[in-house]
Amino acid sequence: MSEVRTSAPRALVTLQSAEFRRGREAAWRDLERLIDAAEKKGVRTLAAEELQRLPSLYRTAVSSLSVARAIALDRNLILYLEGLALRAYFVVYGPRLGAWASVKGFILGGFPRAVRANLQAISLSFALILGGAVAGFVLARQSPEWIALLTPSDLAGGRGVESSAQDLRDSEIFAPYPGFVASFIGFSNYLFTHNVGVAILCFALGIAGGAPTFVLLLYQGLILGAFVELHYEKGLLWDFLGWISIHGVTEIGAFVLCGAAGLAIAETVLAPGQYSRLDNLARRGREAAGLVGGAMIMLFIAGMIEGGFRQLIPSTPGRFAFSAATAALWSAYFALVGREARDGRQA
Amino acid sequence: MAAKLDRINAFLDGARRTRRTIVTPEGVSLEVEIATIGERLLAFTLDLFFWALGLLFVVALTAALAYSTRSPGIVLATFVLGAFFIRNFYFIHFELTMQGSTPGKRIVGIRVIDRDGGALEPGAVMARNLTREVETFLPLILALSLGGRGGGLWTTLAYLGWLLVVTSIPFWNAERRRAGDLLGGTLVIVAPKQRLLGELGVSQAKYSFTRAQLEAYGAFELQVLEEVLRRPPGFETNTILRDVSEKIAAKIAWSAPAPVNDPRAFLNDFYAAERAHLEREQLFGKYKADKSSAPTALT
Repeated sequence: MSEVRTSAPRALVTLQSAEFRRGREAAWRDLERLIDAAEKKGVRTLAAEELQRLPSLYRTAVSSLSVARAIALDRNLILYLEGLALRAYFVVYGPRLGAWASVKGFILGGFPRAVRANLQAISLSFALILGGAVAGFVLARQSPEWIALLTPSDLAGGRGVESSAQDLRDSEIFAPYPGFVASFIGFSNYLFTHNVGVAILCFALGIAGGAPTFVLLLYQGLILGAFVELHYEKGLLWDFLGWISIHGVTEIGAFVLCGAAGLAIAETVLAPGQYSRLDNLARRGREAAGLVGGAMIMLFIAGMIEGGFRQLIPSTPGRFAFSAATAALWSAYFALVGREARDGRQA
Repeated sequence: MAAKLDRINAFLDGARRTRRTIVTPEGVSLEVEIATIGERLLAFTLDLFFWALGLLFVVALTAALAYSTRSPGIVLATFVLGAFFIRNFYFIHFELTMQGSTPGKRIVGIRVIDRDGGALEPGAVMARNLTREVETFLPLILALSLGGRGGGLWTTLAYLGWLLVVTSIPFWNAERRRAGDLLGGTLVIVAPKQRLLGELGVSQAKYSFTRAQLEAYGAFELQVLEEVLRRPPGFETNTILRDVSEKIAAKIAWSAPAPVNDPRAFLNDFYAAERAHLEREQLFGKYKADKSSAPTALT
């Protein structure tokens, strides 16, 4: 063996990276334990003292990673630190809000702000539905065949040209209240799921350049216009308007918002402006999804009104009063809630 | 700098994954690995399975309701509403509360992050999951005529065509983002799970090596050797250790004592000495990537 050691035998090999690891390993393990717990059961399960330790441990891990990349050749160590820093990063900078707090923040700020930020698209969407309604009314005036063509049978619920004014009045506009369960649970649910399907479609078809959203909004307007004409023909215009506006203010408002969301997305696809298409899509997509999420809440409320409250108010003036009240409430909500106070804090 | 490990990772882990760098507010760049389409499909299938379980619960509930109320309308309404809520809020709920994961994603080991490295916002989660409805569920339901209104062959083909176009989006971009990811500005990555293993750079100093011998190799070979030494003990490992030690002995003209008697001790000492040498050289700005490349400053 001695012939091998021609040069002076080295003492125990000292590895700088091993020394470095020895000094910091306890902190890494500590951080790893905290992150394991946070990932498994949520950040909220950590004790206050552990939460306080988290940021400084995270900074230790990040700086350890920088050092390790510069001085160490231990692959396992570098991969471990990369993973640890990344996981800690997500915990430290990750969302602290639970689902409930997110919803609350959304209703008290995010939703009305998204509405105020997209007034242009909302006006366009509203104009499309209104234009469709006018066109539907005019077409149905010219020839009753348009009514059968425009109104899908499952939505019309048996209402058609041949229904008499008395039929419409008794079985539809002033139909007897069918009881709490059938109206609030049964019919409201059906209306809600159907409407939400249409609303999501309006929004997501925005990716396809907006033309499908355009068509869908116009079509909703056409159906509405044809129905109005159907009742106008029978001399039931005011009763019908009262019947539909009691929930229509909320429901059509929700459709307008979803259409606006789709149009906003279409705008980013067609005219991206100073950002790239992808960045723009991500930027506006979240805002648009906020509009749709809020519209869902509105549709839920509309379903409740349509399925239940409407038949509880059997007079047209009463219904107009109710719909005026909902219109005022929604306007006030969108105009006032979640505005930033002068000092920068959110009201 | 992180490219330093790229070659060795590709060599040891097989297929090379697409990576993306996010920069923390501390100015350190962290690399994330993009989840493959296969992993995401598997996670989605698992989630669909859990969704179906939830739906089964709703079916049981409505069956009980039907028995007690004898009213088909209410049963249908509960079923439709339950299916709708579970379908739409399953993903949103879990991605918000489980830090960008759903049960399926957790099993597969992937998670959703913000593409720019920021916090995953509720708006982003909602955007990426509401889009799911139009990407997959609605066309599928309509194409299969589950909604009860069959529209003829061409309508079905149109829905299937839409399904095909939209679901193929992840194949056309390097980050495997689907339409919902584009809208939400999100990215699905592999959740890191590397554990810290024992320190190998501990020499028993039974063997010592000259500078000339240590200069035969570079960082790449050192890390392959690290991987060999970290293999679990066994017959196959012993064979590999013997082969490797013979190769190294031949390369550095090692004479005695023959490493064959205890290849692990020999390789351990060689690893420690080689790493100490290469790390010291690296500090002096002479990083040697592999045995055939000249030392350069680390960039």
